[in-house]
Amino acid sequence: MSSAKQSAMWDLQLRQLLLPKLDHDASECEDAIAFDIQTARFAVTDGATEAFHAQQWARNLAEHWVRNEATLTLEEFRKWVATEGRELHDSWNGLTLSWYSEEKARTGSFAAFVGIELDLKSSTPSWKAIALGDTCLLHCRGAALLKGLPLSRSECFNSTPILVASNAALHESTMQAAVVDSGVCENSDVLLLASDAAASWCLQRFENGDFDPDFLTGKDDEELRRFFDGERQAGRIRNDDIAIVRIEIKRRIN
Amino acid sequence: MGDSFSGDSVRKKAEFVAEVVNHTLHDLVIRCTKTEEVRNYYHVSVIGYGRNVSTCFSGPLAARDMVPISEVADYPLQVKSSYKRVSDGAGSWVEIPVRYPVWIHPTADGKTPMCEALTRVKDILQRWLSEHPRGFPPTILHLTDGESSDGDPDEIGRQIMSLGTDDGHVLLFNCHISTRRSAKIEYPTEEGSLPDGFARALYAISSPLPTNFLAAAAQLGVHAVDGSRGFVFNGDPSSIVQFYEIGTSLTGMTPYKWMDVDKTEMS
Repeated sequence: MSSAKQSAMWDLQLRQLLLPKLDHDASECEDAIAFDIQTARFAVTDGATEAFHAQQWARNLAEHWVRNEATLTLEEFRKWVATEGRELHDSWNGLTLSWYSEEKARTGSFAAFVGIELDLKSSTPSWKAIALGDTCLLHCRGAALLKGLPLSRSECFNSTPILVASNAALHESTMQAAVVDSGVCENSDVLLLASDAAASWCLQRFENGDFDPDFLTGKDDEELRRFFDGERQAGRIRNDDIAIVRIEIKRRIN
Repeated sequence: MGDSFSGDSVRKKAEFVAEVVNHTLHDLVIRCTKTEEVRNYYHVSVIGYGRNVSTCFSGPLAARDMVPISEVADYPLQVKSSYKRVSDGAGSWVEIPVRYPVWIHPTADGKTPMCEALTRVKDILQRWLSEHPRGFPPTILHLTDGESSDGDPDEIGRQIMSLGTDDGHVLLFNCHISTRRSAKIEYPTEEGSLPDGFARALYAISSPLPTNFLAAAAQLGVHAVDGSRGFVFNGDPSSIVQFYEIGTSLTGMTPYKWMDVDKTEMS
């Protein structure tokens, strides 16, 4: 993707990548990316494969969150998720379902979520973020990782993360695992939002000392698809959907 | 299977076992359900033995030795409404309504033709393996409440365990259940602790638990270690539930807590 307008002082260089699992169609991808340049809000979500209409839930969370102006405190986020969950479940009313789909629908849907809002109005750019699950924000300066949210080590990923639940009976307690944080940026800092497989892969690169902050730039989508297919086949990244948003903060040259 | 467990004067063993098997099938269907589609991650066979050896499925699935899980999902004999407690993912439990389909009804009569039953299992496996030579090998969950009435099962058990796919040998797990108040022995690592020849015979034809099954056992609080066999002797009702949960834990998902189910109503 191209560069984007933000403020008189700062530019955002954006790049996004959304890849389905190996040998899967793009329509099957349950990761979602959304952003709003005007509000400088970005979100990446990852629908839980086993859940009911996980793709719909993941997309709703990402697309609706970036259009909001609040939802950056735990309380705001909790109320917003409750509303989104009700609307999702209401959208299933009237469906004729088999016993097994009915049971899945009753349990609801689940997705990992990370959202970030940038403030580029001052001389020191800053960010606020909220995350629940194992989609991550990685704040990078060169080849160094300044912060990983909510996970900052590759061994922290497991098969049963606590996720954003659409079911009202579940989301109140799962919301206790939501994390909010903030940070300040310097010129050329990179913020990565990534779903679990990609985030874990990036963190492994940091841990191995071979992270390249420019790995997404200078390549088209097809080149990146081939690159990650190779990483999957080599066993260096789990064969899962991949969603990455790369945000590079650049001082505007007048 | 016609008698009751100690301390349970109401429910016969066969009724409890049928309930656990129905829960197992339900659980497998739900694991494979993706929104409105059931994906055929499993093929399932349910064989019962007593007066004769036969598939336990009836209705549209009658006479089917091996059934893709999507067809199991579509052809229960009836569906019950109930409630169950599930983890909320944050350390608490919530109760949600569920629907429990029934595929098999309890039956208890005749002797224990274990060798004939295992021979039937071997035949089914050989046919299935010829069509599916790759992937995770089949798992046999064998439940019995008594000694074989038609000979020593050692040879046929070993023949089953010698079958396999390119990913390993067939896994044969055995669970012996008892109405006696004898001490139960779960997932032993050596036969020295076993009380008699029958227990040792079943131990000898029980596969070691692979790593992911050990992880499922740990989640359930069941003591099983590297080298433990998939074998339970003198099991009680909780042993049966855990045996099926561990034996179907291939996906690594958190096992359901079936024993919390109550308030069952017919629909």
